[in-house]
Amino acid sequence: MTPETSSAAEAHPITVEVVRNAIVAYADEMGNALCKAAYNMMIYEVRDYCCGLIDLQGRMISQNRGGLPIFLADLGIAIEDGVRRWGLDGFAPGDVLIMNHGETCGQHLNNVVLYCPVFFEGEIVAFTANRAHWVDIGGARIGFGSSATTEIFAEGVQMRSLKIYEAGKRNDTLWQIITDNTRFPDAALGDMRAQIASCQLGARRYVELLQRYGRATVEACVARVWDQADLAVRKVVEKIPDGVYTAESFLDNDGRDLEKTLRIKVTVRVKGSTMSIDFSEMNPQTNSPVNSGRSGGVAAARVAFKALTSPDLDVNEGCFRSLEVILPEGTLVSARPPAALGLWSIALPTTIDTILKALAPALPEAIPAAHKGDMGGCSFYGVTGDNQRFLLMNIFGGGWGGRPHEDGEDASVSVCQGDVRNSPVELQEIRYPFLVENHRLRDGSGGVGKFRGGLGVELTYKCLVPCQVNINFERTKLPPWGLHGGGSGGANYAIIRHASGAPETRVLKGTQIPLQAGDSVAFFTAGGGGYGDPGARSKAAVENDLREGFVRVSAAE
Amino acid sequence: MNMVGVDIGGTFTDLVGVLDGEIVSSKTSTTPADPSEGVAESLRLAKCDLPGLGELLHGSTIAINTVLERKGAKTALITTKGFRDVYAIGRGNRIEAFNLFFHRPKPLVARHLTFEVDERLDPAGRALKELSRGGIDAVVKAVLDANAASVAVCLLHSYANPAHERAIGEALREASPGLFVTLSHEILREFREYERTSTTVLNAYVGPRVRDYLGNLETWLRGERFSGKMRLMRSNGGVMSASMARSQPVSMMESGPVAGMIAAGILCKQLGIEQAIGFDMGGTTAKSSLILHGAPAVEEGYVIGPLASGQPMQLPVVDIVEVGTGGGSIAWVDDTGGLHVGPQSAGADPGPACYGRGSDTPVITDADLVLGRINPKRFLNGGMPLDVEAARGAIKAKVADPLKLSVEEAAIGVATIADANMSLSVRAVSVNKGVDPRETTMIAFGGAGPMHAVAVAREIFIPRVIIPKLPGAFSALGMLMASWRQDFVRTIVGRLGQLDPSGVATIFKELAAAGDEQLKLDGVARGIAKTQFNADLRYVGQEHALHIPVDGPDMLTGDVSKIRELFHVEHDQRYGQAAAEEALEIVNIRLVLTAPRADTVAEESMSRPWTPTSDAPETSRKVVFGDPEKPVDARILWRPSLPAGFVFDGPAVVEEPNSTILIHPGDKARVTDAGHLVIDVAF
Repeated sequence: MTPETSSAAEAHPITVEVVRNAIVAYADEMGNALCKAAYNMMIYEVRDYCCGLIDLQGRMISQNRGGLPIFLADLGIAIEDGVRRWGLDGFAPGDVLIMNHGETCGQHLNNVVLYCPVFFEGEIVAFTANRAHWVDIGGARIGFGSSATTEIFAEGVQMRSLKIYEAGKRNDTLWQIITDNTRFPDAALGDMRAQIASCQLGARRYVELLQRYGRATVEACVARVWDQADLAVRKVVEKIPDGVYTAESFLDNDGRDLEKTLRIKVTVRVKGSTMSIDFSEMNPQTNSPVNSGRSGGVAAARVAFKALTSPDLDVNEGCFRSLEVILPEGTLVSARPPAALGLWSIALPTTIDTILKALAPALPEAIPAAHKGDMGGCSFYGVTGDNQRFLLMNIFGGGWGGRPHEDGEDASVSVCQGDVRNSPVELQEIRYPFLVENHRLRDGSGGVGKFRGGLGVELTYKCLVPCQVNINFERTKLPPWGLHGGGSGGANYAIIRHASGAPETRVLKGTQIPLQAGDSVAFFTAGGGGYGDPGARSKAAVENDLREGFVRVSAAE
Repeated sequence: MNMVGVDIGGTFTDLVGVLDGEIVSSKTSTTPADPSEGVAESLRLAKCDLPGLGELLHGSTIAINTVLERKGAKTALITTKGFRDVYAIGRGNRIEAFNLFFHRPKPLVARHLTFEVDERLDPAGRALKELSRGGIDAVVKAVLDANAASVAVCLLHSYANPAHERAIGEALREASPGLFVTLSHEILREFREYERTSTTVLNAYVGPRVRDYLGNLETWLRGERFSGKMRLMRSNGGVMSASMARSQPVSMMESGPVAGMIAAGILCKQLGIEQAIGFDMGGTTAKSSLILHGAPAVEEGYVIGPLASGQPMQLPVVDIVEVGTGGGSIAWVDDTGGLHVGPQSAGADPGPACYGRGSDTPVITDADLVLGRINPKRFLNGGMPLDVEAARGAIKAKVADPLKLSVEEAAIGVATIADANMSLSVRAVSVNKGVDPRETTMIAFGGAGPMHAVAVAREIFIPRVIIPKLPGAFSALGMLMASWRQDFVRTIVGRLGQLDPSGVATIFKELAAAGDEQLKLDGVARGIAKTQFNADLRYVGQEHALHIPVDGPDMLTGDVSKIRELFHVEHDQRYGQAAAEEALEIVNIRLVLTAPRADTVAEESMSRPWTPTSDAPETSRKVVFGDPEKPVDARILWRPSLPAGFVFDGPAVVEEPNSTILIHPGDKARVTDAGHLVIDVAF
């Protein structure tokens, strides 16, 4: 994996900078077009999408900023599959392809990729692509959090690099299949329209750039941008002491066998300017939807690596050249078919925290204590009085770990989620038959330390009509850990209070739990771990915690 | 009528006025301790006689600086029971996705100053839990006991029914007349509790300081026997009375940059330009805004401070896209050999290397000087000679040598990268609204705008660039042209075709009544006011809505075919697709109430026939345009001496007291009858 310098010699430094800024601006423009026109909150609030320009070998030319961190240069595999299937000469101008094949993409089937070939002077030169989380893709899973499936075939419709438009003509058969097999076809088709418009926009922009500078120059500049990213990353890795670092943690269970924990074990090897992250000792894949394909393991490794080496650099192929991911088949994050993938991302926040934990002794100034450690969402499904299906989904934040010089942030989304927003209470009550009873910080949930972990949140929904809820909390047996003497954060849990007067129940995981009108569900999300010896916490900080009520009195003493 | 506009910025206080039909201007240093000193000085410099002045327009950074410096009042917040932490929790998002040390917005109100009150409304505004007298008394006491100087009240669903907020507000005002009280529904009757709370808190936080500042300024003005009107520039591109500014200071957060776009819009109207992009390049940033039918785009939602950690503000703001590229932006080479320009800037002191104040850090202005584009002897009307050798030395050491380029090659690289960066930002303002830059005209101003405008325009195929008269003072001039403006909003969510006609009609009536009341308060005649209703519409299932103009309630509750058609067209233009068969949903109804100025003296100054004021002769010098090895002979023209109708081709440099216009080989330029410079860009 040496830097590619052959073609880069032709790239003038000034043109390189112009191209560097342009290609990211195009990807951003694609993202903006998709986000603003989208039909489901997973796109417009959760920003569960990514957009990019991909070269003919499936390499990431550029990716939009502000999408989900775990979508890191992973659109290429979808396109490589299409190229294998159709051949480069099998694409025509006006083609649009749709792709969510579980085995190839390794993610839950709701993550649907749309891509277009880009033609310049009669030749195919690149692809534009985006992936977005559809609110429903059919199958047994409704919303998120379901632990019920054991095979991919129960999880919805699979489409493997199929042409939804062929040379500009719509494929009505495929259109009908999507319409008839999804619970919210208007949203699915609306999102698809937005995705297609976004791809076509990116293609127009890239062609404009090629017209301006010529294909050879642009490609040379892109290669140079990758080389520079690679070089910048290597300079950071070189500063990490060489060595072999390991850490282990575990998930509560797979949602089906509640007694058995799932092992998360990583080995990080740093040598010179390269790092390898080895997942050989991860838990084997499960007989549940808590699995991802290879792309899950690669994403976890890349998020941790990027956060440590180049948090400010735009995402492209070059950022990851000095990272090797060792990932044998058949683990929790590299599952073989026909594994269910519905909860593909559940293991990733903990896996990332564990990679960071492994490196914490070597990098005490660069790594905070563990954060809330799960994806934090709820989903309610039901039918309103006027017979409309509804699906309320929301994403919660939680506490982040204490840092070397300050407390962790409160109520923030996970390391796998970036510009992901919780849903306003007023919006939810306007749209769905619920009364939100509270939305507040969870006092006392931050792990103790010289620098305290951030607080989780409490959010309570009262149902106004009968419905079902999926609850999927993780990291309750191993709450967010402290570092360098800090304590753990408070663990996640939910409480269901019954209108019937039956005793309240504490729930960590459950699929399609039936609720009656008047029942309420209170979600309590985890706090972050503490950093450093709690005895070293400043008096002023302790007093502030007490005055503001962030800690309980007993904890402060 | 005689009038002046005074814009207080962080560094300079700028004045532009029209006195007896003549434009006057002055520039002086801002006096942060007592800004009215700077105002007095700028009036004195412009030989402006306060008793003879009919109107004083004022733009100030006092509100935004109070937030950025966190120097606002001790503020309390009152919320619905169970929702005390809505403001602290925010939306939970992490914009800096890979940054393990990210920061989210830090509340301006401490948690121990946040008080809950037991009450609850549903989305229709019905009380699920009534507000009790005891509840009111308890929360008022808590606020008074805490010794807060200002209080924000934001209750859940108060946009639908403000009765509970009103009752608390009355009790607070009665209990403590000096307390600054902000009720959310009085400034923003729109759903989304976090953004509404943040906007309400911002108003409360800056309120006492702005109130005192305006009070002092007015006292001083009256003491100087000023008997005219004082009005304040606001972020929505309009002006407001001083009393409105005292109660709604949050609406003056972004006043300075906005005024230039207003002037650009008025110039477009005068010249009959339908689609334009205002381009304002100063020392630290370049700002651009899309101008349609003579008005810059206005959007809701803005962040005060850094995007990731700043304070959200949901009131309408002129939609300006900013990029960290200005005359003072620093050129630098990273340790992988990548060349970058900005976003760091050299600032005013020591400034560019060519200022000769000891800086060895090259900036864009240094590159322009090395390329022969700036005349070192005419900078700031000759008031500040520039040091070419210092500029060359900085570029050589920091850019040319590390990249093994010649100094000229490095300088042209810096200019090229800056132009490309700005062009991406300029393009974004047009394409994000579905407008093709090839069908626009660029109106360029600001100190550095005219130097780079043509290159930016060429990059994205904008065919024509107009440099107005007085490009350096254009922003301040805009204040003298701005209309009075007030925005109102009401949330109403429902499907088009299923809305309750009487409910919709009531909202229109209430909005109109609120507008009438505001006109009365501000002393604006009803007859000259213009009423524009807009509906925020979207396809059912979408989140982001588009503003569609509506005449009245019937368009929403009667035959909806016309508004459906308008929406589909707008959606297609913005996003390149539409779904004619799908159902539409309304989210908000907005009222934009404007009243144009009674006089048009500032506008007239822009269209008045131009006669030269100088007879400085044309010269020539070597200027680098494309090939750094081959500078070309360019005509050097002095703008004050060019007559109307004068036509010339590039390469040329047009110099004027506070700006320099660069016209490239092949471009064609002419001076209009009014003295604006029109450049047809060669491709």
